Amino acid sequence: MSDDLVVFENVQKFFDDFVAVKAMNFTIGKGEFVAIMGPSGCGKTTTLRMLAGLEAPTSGEIRLDGQVMNDVKPHERDTPMVWQSLALFPFLTARENVEFGLKMRGVGKADRKERALEWLEKLGIAEFANRNVATLSGGQKQRVALARSLVMKPQILLLDEPLSALDAHLVIRMQAVLTQLQRELGITFVYVTHSQSEAFAMADRVVIMSKGEIAQIGTPKDIYRAPATRFVAEFVGRNNILSGKVNALEGARAQIVTPSGVFAVEAELSMGQEASFVISADLVHFSLEQPNAENAVLCTLISEEFVGSMVTMFLESGDGQEFKVQMQERELSKFDLKGGDQVWLSWDAQSAHVLEGQ
Amino acid sequence: MKGSRYLDGGLRVYTALIFAFIFAPILFSVVFSFNSQRFPTIPLGEFSTEWYAKILNDPDIWEAALNSLIVSTCTALIATFLGFCTAYSDYRYRFRFKGPYLALILLPPTIPLIIMALAMLAWLSKIGMSGQLYSIIIAHSVLTAPFAMAVIRLRLNQMDENLEAAAWNLGGSEWATMRHVIVPFCKPAIISALCLTAAVSFDEFAVSWFVSGLNKTLPVAILEIVQGNIDPQVNAIGTFVFLISMSLIIVAQVFLVGRKIKSSD
Amino acid sequence: MPVAPLVSGDDMSKTKRRIDVYAMTWRLPIILWQALFFVGPIAFMIAMSFFLVKNYRMTEAFEFVNWQRMFSRGFFWDSYWHTLFIASLSTVCAMCLAFPAAYMLAFRASENTRRMAIFLLILPFFSSYLVRTFSWFVILAESGVVNAMLGWIGLGPYTMLNTTFGTLVGYMTLTLPLVVILQTLSMANIDKTLVEAAHNLGCKPFETIWRVVIPLAKTGLIIAAVFCFILSFGDFVAPFYLGGSQDPTLPILIIDTTKSGQQWPRAAVVAIVMMLTLFAVAAAGIGLAYRKGSSR
Repeated sequence: MSDDLVVFENVQKFFDDFVAVKAMNFTIGKGEFVAIMGPSGCGKTTTLRMLAGLEAPTSGEIRLDGQVMNDVKPHERDTPMVWQSLALFPFLTARENVEFGLKMRGVGKADRKERALEWLEKLGIAEFANRNVATLSGGQKQRVALARSLVMKPQILLLDEPLSALDAHLVIRMQAVLTQLQRELGITFVYVTHSQSEAFAMADRVVIMSKGEIAQIGTPKDIYRAPATRFVAEFVGRNNILSGKVNALEGARAQIVTPSGVFAVEAELSMGQEASFVISADLVHFSLEQPNAENAVLCTLISEEFVGSMVTMFLESGDGQEFKVQMQERELSKFDLKGGDQVWLSWDAQSAHVLEGQ
Repeated sequence: MKGSRYLDGGLRVYTALIFAFIFAPILFSVVFSFNSQRFPTIPLGEFSTEWYAKILNDPDIWEAALNSLIVSTCTALIATFLGFCTAYSDYRYRFRFKGPYLALILLPPTIPLIIMALAMLAWLSKIGMSGQLYSIIIAHSVLTAPFAMAVIRLRLNQMDENLEAAAWNLGGSEWATMRHVIVPFCKPAIISALCLTAAVSFDEFAVSWFVSGLNKTLPVAILEIVQGNIDPQVNAIGTFVFLISMSLIIVAQVFLVGRKIKSSD
Repeated sequence: MPVAPLVSGDDMSKTKRRIDVYAMTWRLPIILWQALFFVGPIAFMIAMSFFLVKNYRMTEAFEFVNWQRMFSRGFFWDSYWHTLFIASLSTVCAMCLAFPAAYMLAFRASENTRRMAIFLLILPFFSSYLVRTFSWFVILAESGVVNAMLGWIGLGPYTMLNTTFGTLVGYMTLTLPLVVILQTLSMANIDKTLVEAAHNLGCKPFETIWRVVIPLAKTGLIIAAVFCFILSFGDFVAPFYLGGSQDPTLPILIIDTTKSGQQWPRAAVVAIVMMLTLFAVAAAGIGLAYRKGSSR
């Protein structure tokens, strides 16, 4: 596949006895914005570092533009990285920081200066060119770090949780900057983060990792609507996960008996099969009276959580199963609900997504 | 509460007395270096710079001073280099026997100087390297390298954990990174280490005395004068030595601390 | 948790079996230098204690004669016990004298005052111990400043030199700055809330110090004492110039044996005995300092 820039083939990484990455197989295309996401310790940073050459795979192959990179040293690669701690050189000015990579590659003095200033200008920090980086603010330092990597005109840019140290309002702004840059330059971005909102906001494709393995790869929308495993369903978005046993079949539909009730799903299952299904919180309807729907359950309201204009309600059904419902705040405000109130939740059979083999 | 105030006042006076005790001999030396009397006592004699004139006109003293200068400069360079190598190795690498490795550089200060002096004398004599200025330089660099190592190691702790890797990532080989990143970053600590080791070497007399043979350094010259009889020249020399060591230490402190105020990196 | 490399990218060297020239360039110098100029001297000195000296010439051998000779000599053991005694005395004096000052700096002084004080205390380290000793020699002499001042109020003159008192003054000059610094630092770093709690519970100042402060600062205080002991034990200047060799200590013995007697092997014996003693004291001190004693 000549369109692939990066190929991970059966890549494994051990640290003494600890398995950080198990048999990873995936590819990244040219010009793609890929986010690698997962909880702490899932192996995402290790994966990125292997791409940069800072760790060597214990087995397997990593190919960059067709070339096997396993034994290529970090400084011989063209995989500039934006670090979580920024790692700016404190004894240099902003411009000198940006010039650093060019200097290492042997670019002439005048040439480097020109290119560095060009990039500082592009990112809106040209006025700080001759200031020592220690005197800059968090957001300004972030831009210097970006410029430092991009001035090298690389095919691929690696980013290791670059926004995690910024204030919330700066994060939103930087996300826009990054997305725009990526579109403009057409460079492949590989972005590691633990934040779902960052990954889903910016990436073309998301790789979700857990305990050293890939749990799912897909577009944000696919992952959101069709999580592949229980882990992904729990990790991403607000999802309701129910488990039970199939007790009836009807063509392309099945009926599953769960502790909370009997529900219908649209999936090809077999009799007696153990199955789990996921209903996204924003696909659940609620009403005060029992609705005329095939999937319904009576729940008690436990709490509400407001984030801007959206509200998530946490409820509990008779058997103790937790349910989440997400809706617009203005919708909710039509009702006068308080903790302990009983409401009916319902959803369509086709809203439920069955998890494979769980 | 009243008792506490008396206690407080008493403590302050006491502390002042302790400081007075510690600094008395230094001040005494400086004051009496300008005193005309041969035997320093009170009441004071006249103000006089004859002792300074005397030492400045003494070729032996000049030679000893020059020797001290050569020894401390060379010691500073060697000790700082050794300290830097060890500090960097400790910072960057994990390897077997790292404990004994670090012990190797950190042990010398725990051994009394008189014992080091004897051991150095015997060994350097055996390998035919005793009695010269370089004998003292060798001994002093062993004694002062730990301080250089400690100073530089502490500075390396302040380095961003990804700084070295960032330089590699941008195309710098290990050697280029050392030259363009590690050394510039450590510059204040390196200067500090140079000053510190020079100052320690400048004052050291026990090992110098044993090992130097006829090539005296200033402290050894002082030792010999003092062994003779009461000679106020010693005060003049002592004041000089004090001023030089003091300047070195202040410069070292400025480089170590001054940077911290300028940037928080 | 994974055992990550110390510095990002440390993995680079692991993929190759070849010698990492870069790493060795930085790792080897100190090994070579210290092997040649630190381990060599010490090892040789130990070996030397078994050498023979005939007609002022030293020959390499493996005989115990030096050891037998030294151990059978009365003056060696006198010297040993005396050095032990006086170094201990010096330690007790320094620790006691330093304590009130350190207490004040740790608890009753501002952060800035404390830092300034510690900076001032570092200065004497660089002011030529010899010259300071010489100053004391002159100050304490029969016709010196102290006796002159005492004379004004009709006291003295007292003989202060060539006595144990003189030696102690010398030891204090050597060790007090360091002991004050170490005591101050160890007391400044204890949990002040515990001291306040003790006060609240009605402990009087002295009781608080004895029952709370000292046990909490135990480690640092013991380390200060050990350093003080090591310094005093190994110093020859104080007992020689201010004690007038009334106090024949082991360091002086080494000098005599080496410089005048040219009996390096015997000096080596003394040096080894000193090192073993100091090692034992340091080990005992560290054991005491880090032992989980009974807490109140």
